[in-house]
Amino acid sequence: MTRERTAVRLSRLLGMLPWVIAHPGVEVAEVCSRFGYTRAELARDLAAVFVSGLPGYGPGDLMVAYIDGDEVVVDLADYFARPMRLTAGEGLALLAAGMALESSGAAPEALRSAVAKLAAVLVPDDGTLAVDLPPAPELANALNRAAEEGEVVRLVYTSLGRGETSVREVQPWRVFSTLGNWYLSGHCRLAGGERVFRVDRIREARPTGERFTPPAEPPPATVRYAPGADDVEAVIRLGPGAQWVAEYYPVQVLAPQEGQPVVRFTAPDAAVVGRLLVRLGSQARLLEGPEAAAAAADLRRRLRRRYGTA
Amino acid sequence: MQRVIERLLNLLAFLLSTGRPVTADEIRYTVAGYGQEGDDAFRRTFERDKDLLRRLGVPLRLAPTDAWEVEQGYVLQGEEYALPDPGLSDEERAALWLAAQVVRAGGQAPDQGVLFKLGGLPPMFGGAVLGADLGEAPGELERLFEAVTEAREVAFAYRGKPRRVRPYGLVHRRGHWYLVGPQRGESEPRAFRVDRLSELRVGSRPGAFTRPRGWRAGDAVPDTPWQAGEAATEVTVRFDPEIAWWARRQLGREAVLTEEPGGGLVARLRVASVEAFVSWMVGFEDRAEVLQPPELRQALLNHVGLP
Repeated sequence: MTRERTAVRLSRLLGMLPWVIAHPGVEVAEVCSRFGYTRAELARDLAAVFVSGLPGYGPGDLMVAYIDGDEVVVDLADYFARPMRLTAGEGLALLAAGMALESSGAAPEALRSAVAKLAAVLVPDDGTLAVDLPPAPELANALNRAAEEGEVVRLVYTSLGRGETSVREVQPWRVFSTLGNWYLSGHCRLAGGERVFRVDRIREARPTGERFTPPAEPPPATVRYAPGADDVEAVIRLGPGAQWVAEYYPVQVLAPQEGQPVVRFTAPDAAVVGRLLVRLGSQARLLEGPEAAAAAADLRRRLRRRYGTA
Repeated sequence: MQRVIERLLNLLAFLLSTGRPVTADEIRYTVAGYGQEGDDAFRRTFERDKDLLRRLGVPLRLAPTDAWEVEQGYVLQGEEYALPDPGLSDEERAALWLAAQVVRAGGQAPDQGVLFKLGGLPPMFGGAVLGADLGEAPGELERLFEAVTEAREVAFAYRGKPRRVRPYGLVHRRGHWYLVGPQRGESEPRAFRVDRLSELRVGSRPGAFTRPRGWRAGDAVPDTPWQAGEAATEVTVRFDPEIAWWARRQLGREAVLTEEPGGGLVARLRVASVEAFVSWMVGFEDRAEVLQPPELRQALLNHVGLP
């Protein structure tokens, strides 16, 4: 715990020193706002610098660091004149975040140049890394605007489960991308609660002109699946070509059988599980779940009818 | 904690200014903050300090102290320690900060400490943007990124087989990370899903290969899943009016689309992975149909199987 706090403190200190050295005469207020210091915290860090330095530890060996009125003074600390390099993880996380936002088309111009400059010092050439979000559909931008402005929208939405189309009024909170899709979260008046919609399933979104007050803290941009009372459960054994199901969906992993993983899959609608089973074909075996079995059999029947073989 | 911070500053200052390998003993008797401890206490303190510095990204290495290689010492070279200055403007810093806020990995925002290294958080200028989550970063991603940047060969197990790959690059697409590069003895790069590889070992030699000039990792991972693979077949599909709008949004740029009078949509596209394509088609249930070729109709029916 203390070590953790020490690490955080040292990391901020080693970022602050080079900045101050590169900007002589910089004001306390600016250093505090850039590095998230209070004046007292900054004074304490500078005091540590003031009594540290090179062996000998006499007046000429120690660094100079103090607050002089409104000014931060650092001297005799040339070995800390440059910030520490980014670790592989830090560099990758930052580049990935920047490139992802750039690819969505929602990024400010400065991000493009920032990513290019950062890539130039972190990766051998700019072809080595590619981070793509699915392109934000046109609707995503309109919905995002409605969310920012707090305007109720009327959606024509086709559900993932039954494939039913409904018209619903939604107070949009946030538009976000995860796992290769774009989503809208908000308060749905039809459902009477918080819902997440896949943007590509929204056929139409019309502004209503009605305003609402957005929640102070909209929930984070993730697709959480909250189990409900009408949920359908299925226990599925996954063959070699179906192992991705355990990684992709929030399933419960059970004891393996015959050397293959077994998962419990929960969905708000039997049609979702049925479709997954048909999709996986011989790569999955349903062990439990009569509703899922019925839904899968029904879909197989409809598909065969469509292809004129039933 | 103040004394620990001072000791660590002393240690870093000493290592950075000497630039040569120094033994633990020399550190103990030279650097202020260590001297007064007994043998065991010193060893414990020094171990903890090294751990902490390495965790922050300080590239502390062990190297022989002289040509006879009898003793090992710790060395920290300025060039390895310091970040080459990317020369960011405040506006660019703000843009990166914003990106780090809205793009997350499995719900986690990148550590803000990173931005301190880049010059802190400038006064913010606004601009709300869409949020995004790249999914949880697979465990080996950082080591692979290092291998990519240092051009080291990697070996790992994938789909039950050992592989040796020259890692040209990393790609994030449709919620997953891919390592892209040719296998040993091959020239064409392939894509490997990072969360499915295991037993990763990174080669000891940096600069083990060079990428073809102008090569781009993004081009090596296909746009739509059914484009992955080698031989492609031309396929014709009909989508019913009620789902045509949705199919249209998902089809890649290469598909040739014809609208039917009733609102239906006929698409001609090239399919390389039959398995991925059939799986995608099932998502439309019985409101879409493969028209051509007959073999693909049969493949879909075989996949759907018996009740």
